Amino acid sequence: MPASNEIAHACPPIPADRQAARLTTVRPSPGIDWGGLVWTLIRTDFKARYHGSLSGFVWALLKPTAMFAVLVGVFSLVFASEPAYKLDLVIGLFLWDFFADGTKAGMTSLAAKGFLLTKARLPGWIVVVTSVANALLTLLVFAVVVTAYLAVSGAAPDPVRLLAFAGYLAALVLVVIGISLGSSVLFLRYRDLNQVWDMATQAGFFVAPIIYPLGVIPEQFHIWLYAWPPTPIMEFARAVLVDATMPTWRGHVCLALMVVAILGAGALLYRRHAPRAVECL
Amino acid sequence: MNGTAAIEVEGIAKTFRIPSEHRDTVREHVFGLLKPRRFQTLRVLDGVSFTLRRGETLGIMGRNGSGKSTLLRILAGIYTPDAGEVRAHAGITPILELGVGWNPELDAIDNVYLMATVLGLPLRAVSEALDGILAFAELERFARLKLKHYSSGMASRLAYAVAFAAVREVLILDEIFAVGDAGFRARCEARYRELREAGHTVLLVSHDPRTIATFCDRALLLDRGRILMDGPAPLVAERYVHTVAGATAPAHPVLP
Repeated sequence: MPASNEIAHACPPIPADRQAARLTTVRPSPGIDWGGLVWTLIRTDFKARYHGSLSGFVWALLKPTAMFAVLVGVFSLVFASEPAYKLDLVIGLFLWDFFADGTKAGMTSLAAKGFLLTKARLPGWIVVVTSVANALLTLLVFAVVVTAYLAVSGAAPDPVRLLAFAGYLAALVLVVIGISLGSSVLFLRYRDLNQVWDMATQAGFFVAPIIYPLGVIPEQFHIWLYAWPPTPIMEFARAVLVDATMPTWRGHVCLALMVVAILGAGALLYRRHAPRAVECL
Repeated sequence: MNGTAAIEVEGIAKTFRIPSEHRDTVREHVFGLLKPRRFQTLRVLDGVSFTLRRGETLGIMGRNGSGKSTLLRILAGIYTPDAGEVRAHAGITPILELGVGWNPELDAIDNVYLMATVLGLPLRAVSEALDGILAFAELERFARLKLKHYSSGMASRLAYAVAFAAVREVLILDEIFAVGDAGFRARCEARYRELREAGHTVLLVSHDPRTIATFCDRALLLDRGRILMDGPAPLVAERYVHTVAGATAPAHPVLP
C-alpha cells in the first residue's frame, strides 16, 4: 500500500456517533458464488484499465471499430487491385492482436491478482480465464464489425460459414486460455517470462501468414507454419469469410486436436504448479 | 453442536526450500546452469495436531518464525501442507494480512466488491452490506477515492470491515486488534464479542499476551514449527512471555 498522502492526513477526527457504527453479519455462500466472482473480476479489471470512466468503456468498444475502419480505408487505397488481400490482412491483424494481448494478460494474471490469492482460498484458474476478457471484448466487437461490413458489401457469409467462423474464434479463445494457464504459473517462477514471450510473439507475427499470403511460401513448409496455432485459425477464418469456401474436415480435425493439446498441456502444467503457486507470490 | 470438532488438524508439516541464491528469471536460470545451487530446507511446521471445537476461541502464540502464519494459511486453504491433513467441518473465513491486499487503481466500493466476492459473499449481499461496511471503517466520504490515495490505516480498516461482515462459522484472525486507532480497535473488539456471542468459532493469532488471555478459551504456543504448549489461554500467554524473555535475555548479564 502506498504511503499515506495529504488526503489521508486530512481525515477529520472520528465523530462520536461513529462509535455506534455496527456491522450486520452476512452469511457467505457455502461454496463460491461463481457468477458474482466472475462478473466482479471482469468488471473491476475493466474499471482499473479504463480508470473507472464510462468513456473508457465506450473507447474499448469504439477502438476495434475505428481500427477496422482505418485499416480497411487505408488498405483499400494501398491494395486497390487486391480487394481480397485487404480483408485477409485485417482479419489476420485482429486475430493476432487477440492472441498477443490475451496471452500477455493471461501470463501475468496470477501475479497481478496475488493480493487476492494470498487472502482466501480462490481457484487461480478463474483469475487466469477472466483476465482474457478485455481482449475478448475487442475480438467480439471485431467479429460483429467484420460480419456487418461483409453484409453491407454484399458478401455476407451464409449461416454455416458464420457458425464455422464463430467456432474458429472459440478455438482461438481456448488456445489463448491454454497458453495462459500454463504460462501464468511459470511466470511466478520466471519473472521475465513475459519479455521472452514478447520476443516469441514478435517472431511469431512473421511466422503466421498475416502480412503475406500463405501461397508465397513453398508448400512443403506449410505444415510447419500450420503448427503455429494462430496460422490455421487465421487461414480457416479467411476461407469462410473472404473466399467463401469451407476448409476440409481433415483440417478441422487437426485444428480440434491442436486446441485440445494446447488446452490440455496448459491445464496439466497449471495443475502441477498451482498448489505451490501462492508460495511464490 | 458446541464441543464437536469444527476443524481437525492432524500431523501437519510444511517445509520450504531456501536456495543459496535466488533465481527468479529465465536469464538467471540460463546463466546459472553451470553454477548449481544449494538448497537449505526450512521445516516451518513439524507434525502439528490439534482440534478446534465448535464455539471455542483458540489462540495461537509464538515468536516470529515459529510457523503461525504458515499454519493459518494452511487452515485457510491457501497453502498446501507437505504432510498431514486438515479436516474442516465448517466454513472458514480467513482474515489475513488485510492491510496489504487491494487493487490501488480501484476505489473503496469496487475493492469491497472484489474482496467480498472472493470471501464468498453473493453480489446482492455485498450491495446490502456496503453502507454498513463503509460506516464501520469510517470511510463513507472516501468511498469513491482510489485505494492508492489511502493511508495504510484506512486500507486496513476497510479490510477488517469487509471481513467482519462476511463471516462463516469459523473465523481465522491474524493480529486482529493491531489495526487503526483506539476507537476503531474498540469497535473491532465489540464486533468480535458480538460474533463470539453469536456462536462463531474463532482461531486467533496474536503476539499480545493480553489479547490471548482476554479473548481466548484455550491457546497453543508454537515454537520452531511444533506445539510447545496446549492449554488454558492465560497460562499459555504467561509461558509465551517467559519464552520471549528467555530468548531476548542477553547471554551475559549486563552490569548496572
